[in-house]
Amino acid sequence: MNSSNQSARSAQPAPAVDKAHKEPALPHIQPADVQKPPLWARLYAVWYRHVRVYARNIISNGLPPFLEPLVFLVGIGMGLGAYLTKMEGVPFLEYLATGLLMTTAMFTSAFECSFGTFIRLEYEKAYDGMLAAPITVWDLLIGEILWAGTKGFFFTLAVLVVIYGFGILPIGLSLVAPFIGFFTGAMFAALSLLVTSFVKNINHFNFYFSGFISPMFFFAGVVFPVTNLPVIVRPISEALPLTHAVRLTRAFSFPGEVPFLWADVIYILIFTLLIGILGVRRLKRRLID
Amino acid sequence: MPEFSKTPVIGARHIYKTYGQVKAVQNVGFTIQRGTCVGFLGPNGAGKTTVMKILYGKGEPDPNPDTEINVFGYDPRSHQLHIKQLSGVVTQEDSLDEELNVEQNLQVYAKFYGMRHRRAAARIDELLEFMELGEKKRSRIKELSGGMKRRLVIVRALLGEPSLLILDEPTTGLDPQVRQLIWDRLHLLKRSGVTILLTTHYMQEAAQLADDLLIMDHGKVLLTGAPQQLLTEQIEPYVLELKNKQRAGEIEPKFGSERIRKEEYTERILYYSHNNGMLNSLIGGLSPSEYHIRQSDLEDLFLKTTGRKLNELQ
Repeated sequence: MNSSNQSARSAQPAPAVDKAHKEPALPHIQPADVQKPPLWARLYAVWYRHVRVYARNIISNGLPPFLEPLVFLVGIGMGLGAYLTKMEGVPFLEYLATGLLMTTAMFTSAFECSFGTFIRLEYEKAYDGMLAAPITVWDLLIGEILWAGTKGFFFTLAVLVVIYGFGILPIGLSLVAPFIGFFTGAMFAALSLLVTSFVKNINHFNFYFSGFISPMFFFAGVVFPVTNLPVIVRPISEALPLTHAVRLTRAFSFPGEVPFLWADVIYILIFTLLIGILGVRRLKRRLID
Repeated sequence: MPEFSKTPVIGARHIYKTYGQVKAVQNVGFTIQRGTCVGFLGPNGAGKTTVMKILYGKGEPDPNPDTEINVFGYDPRSHQLHIKQLSGVVTQEDSLDEELNVEQNLQVYAKFYGMRHRRAAARIDELLEFMELGEKKRSRIKELSGGMKRRLVIVRALLGEPSLLILDEPTTGLDPQVRQLIWDRLHLLKRSGVTILLTTHYMQEAAQLADDLLIMDHGKVLLTGAPQQLLTEQIEPYVLELKNKQRAGEIEPKFGSERIRKEEYTERILYYSHNNGMLNSLIGGLSPSEYHIRQSDLEDLFLKTTGRKLNELQ
């Protein structure tokens, strides 16, 4: 086919000047017989890489998720809680504990996809190595979000184990919490990837954590109800991602007492999708030369 | 000549790449045959790495209707996964996972090629032996020397049994023993039909490995051809190095009508000529420590082509 094309072209009189300036046409290249790896396999490979690296330091990585909620529940829940009555009709310790289920997912995922992602991107150059393998930038970063979601799942599970261990909640519908933790982790992973796409200096993450992530502890209904906030602040609180994750968790932890709202589910899904797409698009510019 | 030669597997025409104001690649094109090794030669900032990255989709060329890229039948702009599946890439930086040991690094990477555990394990053992890293299988990355890390990255690039191996400065900073070992293995791979693209600024490496050279500077291809052919066609075969510049006054009047090309450095002068006898006749009166007459090599050709002045990236 290639040769017939060429003979057809050479049959036409071409101006000599044009010939001198043009390089010879691209030769015909027989396509190699090769299959690209399926999407699930590409995402799994990225996820598997993170799991292996994380599991390497399982003690130092895996113990804090159990210790942190313990400190909180004992220090604030039992200490401060002795002076407090019910929050939204729920005893304070239970109220705080169910909030912690989600803050832990938020923190682990936000750290993973801000400091963690930045270090892999700029210092370790891990992504350059990974992108030499048959995956795309989208595979790489969606795999990253799935991994942060997985961490959200396990960190929430760890808190839940502590909660059940202390008998703070009866074993029941709250078993759904780790799954909500997965989506909360994915949501904050998407947000953190977007933030990372703007960050040139690793210290700038301090603004993100002090200015946005940590305040959510107080404005998203973790330690006291959103309804206690001044009327002007409440819309802000409703806009915060953590608010919806916490409300959803409580709906399962206190069925009948806290209403289940589809709006919370929709918020989490749409936020993750939109912010995720934006974050991946922006980071792609830093990953592809 | 093996029978797979003269089968084109990579073709590119009119590749352009701009970073802001910098024209990193300007109208680069080439055709590469199966089972050959092509060396991209050029100073830092010449655009070699950029071209490599464009070939496997890690870089995107400027949008241009004239641009054509074909790697084993696939355009990296639309089919990077196919190209990556049949390629192995040795990036300039090692990018190994420090938390994992040698074997674990490779196990993790084999997953990207969709390799099953057992097949990956066999391949890992075979390749570690091939690169003489068999004893380091359980070593931590921190315990490896620079040369071992480089060899490990080559092993990683070979996991997927690539038809195309892309190496970006594979032996920069390595000692001669390791460099020889890597060259030797690359020869073996080439003989087995693997097509190799290599960027380097070691002339010896280019001469050792490359069947064809592309000399690049400022984003353009300045010269292409087989090393020996380039040396014959593009540069005078002999050179007299005058190590003490002060003595130039005694030598230069002896030139007569002979055509001699002169390259002047701060302390030294190089005289290039087609006439070896002529150069030998110039040195009367010089002590042996003041001069050196030799055949010109790729380094001379490289300097002649790309200029002697340092650019802002060097």
